Amino acid sequence: MYIIYFLAYMTIGFGISALVFYWALKNGQFRDQKRAAYLPLLHDTKTCPVPIRRIHRIEAIVLITMACLGLLTSASVLVISLIRMP
Amino acid sequence: MTGDITMESENYMTARAYCLTAAFWFAVATSFGILAASYLVAPDFMANIAFLEFGRIRPIHVNLVLFGFVTPGLLGAAHYLVPRLMQTRLYSQKLGLITVLLWNVAVAAGMIGLSLGHTTGREYAELIWPVKILIVIGFGLIGANLFLTIRQRKEPILYVSVWYVCAAVVMTGVTYFIGNVVWEPETGALLGISDAVLLWFYGHNIFGLLLTPLSLAVAYYVIPKVTRNPLYSHTLSILGFWGLLVVYTHIGTHHLLQVPVPTWLKVIAIVDSVAMVIPVMVFLINIWYTARGKLGEIHADIAGKFIFTGTIMYFFVSIQGSMMALPNVQRITHFTNWVIGHSHIGVLGFAGMISLGGMYYVLPRITDKPLYSRFLADLQYWLILIGVVGFTIVLTAAGLIQGNAWLNGETIYRVLPEIHVYYVIRLAIGVFIVIGAYIGLYNVIRTLYWNPGAES
Repeated sequence: MYIIYFLAYMTIGFGISALVFYWALKNGQFRDQKRAAYLPLLHDTKTCPVPIRRIHRIEAIVLITMACLGLLTSASVLVISLIRMP
Repeated sequence: MTGDITMESENYMTARAYCLTAAFWFAVATSFGILAASYLVAPDFMANIAFLEFGRIRPIHVNLVLFGFVTPGLLGAAHYLVPRLMQTRLYSQKLGLITVLLWNVAVAAGMIGLSLGHTTGREYAELIWPVKILIVIGFGLIGANLFLTIRQRKEPILYVSVWYVCAAVVMTGVTYFIGNVVWEPETGALLGISDAVLLWFYGHNIFGLLLTPLSLAVAYYVIPKVTRNPLYSHTLSILGFWGLLVVYTHIGTHHLLQVPVPTWLKVIAIVDSVAMVIPVMVFLINIWYTARGKLGEIHADIAGKFIFTGTIMYFFVSIQGSMMALPNVQRITHFTNWVIGHSHIGVLGFAGMISLGGMYYVLPRITDKPLYSRFLADLQYWLILIGVVGFTIVLTAAGLIQGNAWLNGETIYRVLPEIHVYYVIRLAIGVFIVIGAYIGLYNVIRTLYWNPGAES
């Protein structure tokens, strides 16, 4: 019974995606990718420059270190669970 | 309604309304969260007050965070960035405002319904049928407004953020309709195991196809703006977009590995959960390369700071999520506080941080004044960061205790006293997040309505 819903869901999802992809291809959306990378910066009349301090850089490094430590913790759980695998 | 008038004269009423909505419900949602955390410390806390029972306030907290805070915050940024990127005005600010009003009515009605005990009992799909209909209509109106905006665009190329916003609105509209079994108003559910399968397709996709694409859209727009660098690779970002759509849509069954659902479905879910590493790393490599050498600029800008931290949390939560889908890892982590820690990193640390960053990016630009208080926004950043990191550590530790105890056959009444201390610490850390949410609400209100700052 569930397979009908599963297939309906996947068909609608892939169907919409395929149609949009076809439109994008025909519309030339994938052509000028170099210019596309600059789009957020184009026509920008309002810039809000802010002073940069050394503390901001240190703050960023501390955050990245914290994230790496977190990842390391998760990885160690993975390794332990694989070692303990019956 | 036409795109001919210059964008600078746009009043951005819709974006303002979404930002205010998000800030308000964030404060309410975290208040319910702290109540729920208090129940875990003292189960008799406020006993016999039916509408504040744990079983009612827990879904209120979750739904408010999801539909009241994170989604409107990200939509607020989306209703700013889509017209800007398309070099036109939003198709209709009036339609946008009506949608925000409808959205707020739906959220409020849903919460009142839940507190009165009206629930479908399906996780993330608890809201009653009339509210679900309002939300489906809401997604329809948002989609109509954004697509008509894109139709009147002057910029022919759709930047990756526009792709993500459109995908989020369309795919979530479909997912919400199917996943909530809207055609069955009596139950809002299918029967038996098929309902579990459907529910978790919905349950995972409400994060994967709503919060993730909207968050990525905001990050892809704000990080280049803050660093004044072009995006490292737009081709890579588009590949990541299509990769996310292909991979993310059918990993929900990794929530059901201990359930008698077909093995092929579990295999698809596990394989694609691990494959999620590809679109995740595509996004992160792209964003981090864009930000390379500009960490100082990012952390000097409050929006950039929130969003960059959100990307780090995305890295963490995604890698963790891929690992958690492995059956051997899940034998310990599933049904424990580990998962609650994971969901807080995802919804608050990743999508919530980017939602707040998006709001702080657009607020000065739509009000033409600087943020009311940069200090308060910084304070909120640190309170929430400490909250999320603290939650991660405490809930992960509690989860590992629970998981190992369960694996070793210990009974629950022996384990509960062992993790009680973690619940107390979690409650204390939760206070940071609540204070952060109220500070944010004050800052947003003052920025929008009583801001003494000079016009820029």
